[in-house]
Amino acid sequence: MPFAKSSFGFILTAALIAGAARGSSNAAEDKGSQLLRQGMEAPRTVSYVGQLETVRFSSARANATIVRIWHLAPTMTRRWYLAPEGLYNDYIITRGSSSYQFDTKRSQVQISHNPVLDDQVAAEDSLSRILTNYRATIAPGDIIAGRPTTSLILVNKFTGERVMRLWLDTKTHLVLRKEEYHGNGAVASETRFEDLRYTNAIPRELFSTDAPSGFVQVAGRDYAMPSADIERVIHAAGFAPVEPTNLPQGFKLASGDATTVNGVRTLHLTYSDGLRTLSLFENATGAAADFGVLRPLTIQFEGHDAQYVEDGPTTLLTWKEHGLYFALVGDLLRSELVEIAKSVVP
Amino acid sequence: MTEHLNTALLIDYLRRELPPEDDALVLAHLEKCPSCRREYEIEVSLSDALKTAAAREEFEFPSLVAARVWEEIRNARPSPLAQIAAFFRPSFAVPLVAAAVLAAFFFATPFGQHGLTPKINAAYYLEAHAAQQAQNPLDERGPAAAQLIEIAAQDTSAPTELADDVSQGLAAPSAFDAVR
Repeated sequence: MPFAKSSFGFILTAALIAGAARGSSNAAEDKGSQLLRQGMEAPRTVSYVGQLETVRFSSARANATIVRIWHLAPTMTRRWYLAPEGLYNDYIITRGSSSYQFDTKRSQVQISHNPVLDDQVAAEDSLSRILTNYRATIAPGDIIAGRPTTSLILVNKFTGERVMRLWLDTKTHLVLRKEEYHGNGAVASETRFEDLRYTNAIPRELFSTDAPSGFVQVAGRDYAMPSADIERVIHAAGFAPVEPTNLPQGFKLASGDATTVNGVRTLHLTYSDGLRTLSLFENATGAAADFGVLRPLTIQFEGHDAQYVEDGPTTLLTWKEHGLYFALVGDLLRSELVEIAKSVVP
Repeated sequence: MTEHLNTALLIDYLRRELPPEDDALVLAHLEKCPSCRREYEIEVSLSDALKTAAAREEFEFPSLVAARVWEEIRNARPSPLAQIAAFFRPSFAVPLVAAAVLAAFFFATPFGQHGLTPKINAAYYLEAHAAQQAQNPLDERGPAAAQLIEIAAQDTSAPTELADDVSQGLAAPSAFDAVR
């Protein structure tokens, strides 16, 4: 994947492209973009019951997930896990930005809050970035879960690479199948409905968050709303961070968050091109990553002994330089992440 | 020697001060004369009592003398050698060595390598990243991303042939078709 060095010229070009895209979307979105918008908004208007299967590929293995879904528009969802084995019979109820994970093996319910789950502004920004960086091309669809679909191929405007393909229900526009691709054309993940029935008649009791008898309630993660005011976030971090000067084309700094993790002040910068997201974590406290049960591998670049792990198509790369510890996470090839890491120079 | 032994002779015998021939005659008489032997044993007991009393008096200093001696010891300035030797007393040396070991642990170990430096769980990075991605309606993992990461990490099974094919761009048209 070609990279673009950050420069005034590039920023100006990107701004012109973004402006042009925004202008065209204001006038009349092309059919592909229109269909993409409808697909992203569908879960807020369509209620259904179905079974969703996902396979995520890393370079050495594949992880499959099978989940039974009850979705009551706009924001209530119950996911009941059938696979993997470790999650069998567990279920997660999402109500807006709150999630209740019922762990049936440990008899506990974990409550987490993530404001971005129900952030329509963020979703709109995400769509805007996609339309800026990708061309949505309509292609013939298949029959998925007994429903006719229209296919949408998202091609990166800068590189010409196919990054994602969607199959949307012709009538409801719900995304019934999705494939993501790496920069080398390999499939990164595939998701599709095996069974689907549209209905509003879903008993409300299915979305009850009351803990069953004998369950213990535990606090999960409480994520803060990321801020677009990067200067304020950097000030809150309490140290001078370093940003990458070499990002894949189309990626821009989207938001930031300064938080304390295990007593360590940590800065989280998020870069996105709309479809894909990159996270750069930094700390100046000398806190290395504890890989625990994960099995890291070592890779060298520019004199650094970096470590990485893969979670499906997502790669985590960690290294240190001049007293700063970095962690870079993204759904990109390892070689692409290393190129970005090389440009993070304190 | 048929007469009984007098006390002066017994005392000289006891102190081994008699000439050898007289010492031999006294010994021979004591073995045959119970009366003189009894007298000798009395002298022996008396002599032991006197020795014990004398020894006790040697150790019991007058309190004033003892106080003065201790004052002299306290005011005495130890020699440099004695000062160095004091470092090796257990009550001083053990805490000193413990402090040195701790200092070596904190400062000689490469920065961030020892267990007391806080670390950040790598799963946190993956989860926080997934949480940000969740704003994208096209992300299918939703709030379960953290659990899926944890479970994938614990999967110790051998790499699949399918995954190898896919990483080389050789996967079936649908990954699900290949899995079945």
